[in-house]
Amino acid sequence: MASGSSMRTLGRRQFLLGSAALSLAPLIKGCSRPSESPWERGAYRKTGQSRVAVLPARDYTVPLKDILVGGLKAFALGVQGKTVVLKPNLVEYDPGGVINTHPALIAATIEAFRSLGAREVLVAEGPGHRRDHEYLLTASGLYSVLEDARARYVDLNHDDVRPLALRSHFTKLRQLYYPETILRADLLVSMPKLKTHHWAGITLALKNMFGIIPGSIYGWPKNVLHWAGIQESILDINSTLPAPQFSIVDGIVGMEGNGPIQGEPRHCGVLVLGDDPVAVDATAARLMKIEPRKVPYLEKAEQFLGNIARERIAQIGEDPEQFAQEFKVIESFKHLAGLSE
Amino acid sequence: MIEAATDALLGARNPDGGWGAEQGKQSNTETTALAVLALSALDGSLEQEISRGLAWLADRQTADGSWPLSADVDGASWTTSLATISLAGFAAHRPGALRGAHWLIRQEGRRPTWWVSLLQRWVLPQGPTIRLNPNLKGWPWASGAFSWVEPTAYALIALKKVRADVAGSEIRERIQQGEMLIYDRMCRGGGWNYGNSNVLGVDVPPYPETTALALIALQDRQAETANQISLDALPRMAADVESGLALSWTSLCFSIYGRDTSNLRKRLARTYEKTAFLGATRTLALAILAWKDGSNGFRV
Repeated sequence: MASGSSMRTLGRRQFLLGSAALSLAPLIKGCSRPSESPWERGAYRKTGQSRVAVLPARDYTVPLKDILVGGLKAFALGVQGKTVVLKPNLVEYDPGGVINTHPALIAATIEAFRSLGAREVLVAEGPGHRRDHEYLLTASGLYSVLEDARARYVDLNHDDVRPLALRSHFTKLRQLYYPETILRADLLVSMPKLKTHHWAGITLALKNMFGIIPGSIYGWPKNVLHWAGIQESILDINSTLPAPQFSIVDGIVGMEGNGPIQGEPRHCGVLVLGDDPVAVDATAARLMKIEPRKVPYLEKAEQFLGNIARERIAQIGEDPEQFAQEFKVIESFKHLAGLSE
Repeated sequence: MIEAATDALLGARNPDGGWGAEQGKQSNTETTALAVLALSALDGSLEQEISRGLAWLADRQTADGSWPLSADVDGASWTTSLATISLAGFAAHRPGALRGAHWLIRQEGRRPTWWVSLLQRWVLPQGPTIRLNPNLKGWPWASGAFSWVEPTAYALIALKKVRADVAGSEIRERIQQGEMLIYDRMCRGGGWNYGNSNVLGVDVPPYPETTALALIALQDRQAETANQISLDALPRMAADVESGLALSWTSLCFSIYGRDTSNLRKRLARTYEKTAFLGATRTLALAILAWKDGSNGFRV
């Protein structure tokens, strides 16, 4: 009965492209009527100049904590006595894949923030596909890391929540529920994997924030956000996040092609750090030889959330050019490839 | 082991009589419904705890028959199915379960409008054809969203548990459509994940916990080839998984399908010793059900 169903079937891609096409409407509307800003005054976070650190890390066995401490000190985050929440990318597990932020990097980040005086460093994620976070943690190796580090893990899919009115309006959603753990954090650290993404083009610090939206309300996958528009949801979620934020991109081994789950590993040997997630994403996109302004949510984010222009991003550490390599993208995102400046 | 888990479950109970996702978290409908089922499977004098849990559920049912996830989250939720399943086993709460079922009958996942279907069919680039049929009516996680396997499975169990008391053909039609959706989303080789068997031409693997739950929802169709294939595939899926959620659902499924669960229950105990299920109250409740062969709560 199941596979033999005679009913007409649609390609998943077609289906989601249709949804995406529909959800572009508010974006187009926003462009055509510039007098109606899609973001509220309080959402404006862009500064004149951003800083991004590109730090070499050959593999996961090098002294990552020392590398991170060196990078973090450059940003003077003032974490002494504060609660730091690390939000890795833990979406699914594949024993042969490189889907998730590497546990060794998470362990090193916990140690790094502790050494800088943080009162508590906890790890929090709301996996987007799989409800079984116990499986994801044990299978991925993150559980052992957290045990060794005596660090607490919070399942954001089932955390207590509070509704927040959105501070930008690229979607038609008026509010979203945010987990209390995120709202109580003194510093929220987005720790994405350097990856291409088959619906969003790329998935980095900003897209990683999909994971904070609770599945117990929005489902697995977080389908309400897909219907509202993936690109638009990325903007609304991030514009409403309480500041400050920091980002650490795991670019030691990234993923190219059919990401975020079924792509291929790509070694880059680099970490990208910064306190402007737009500038971090733009720099990480350039590492993949993807033009950030061609990614719709980044192009919009540049207007109010952060910087994309090279001249507005001061690079700390190594020249990103030496790590840049052409990541494969799926056919529908071929137009993103190739840097225009 | 079961004593420790029971103590942990009772210790996680909130003063309002309900249970949260973890100890100290706000009571929610899903966890409270499962905790009531778990305590009901135990031999002991837990009537007061069960009664207060049932009262928590009954008090939070809204006028339209649905349940919100918790006090802080507005609106009807997918947890209505679990509350209905839980209340259906108690004669005094059967009317509440029936109101829940009537709400479920009126709920369905979002489907593409005719003009979106046209756009997809004629304007947008052609993608690889897959088994996902967006026109089938199942149940979503959130109102206004697409139908997925897990909420559809819960709704099917709920409706099947009360169908003898619900008049009309609508419940039969919804059950039939829901079953079709679950079969439609089956992964190649059997089993289910969240609801996509193939993305961009690449097969997506099944999960043991979702497979077990889907099979429980389809328990009255055991002769179907899809059920048999998936049931045979389930031990392979669960072989390397050490998680309370996956092992509990798998054990409950095997119990309903008449298969041996002793090894699964041993593995479940070892997992609890190692991880304490990361403090997830929902998993504690399901594990107690698995250890006590409390599959009755999910039998239809």
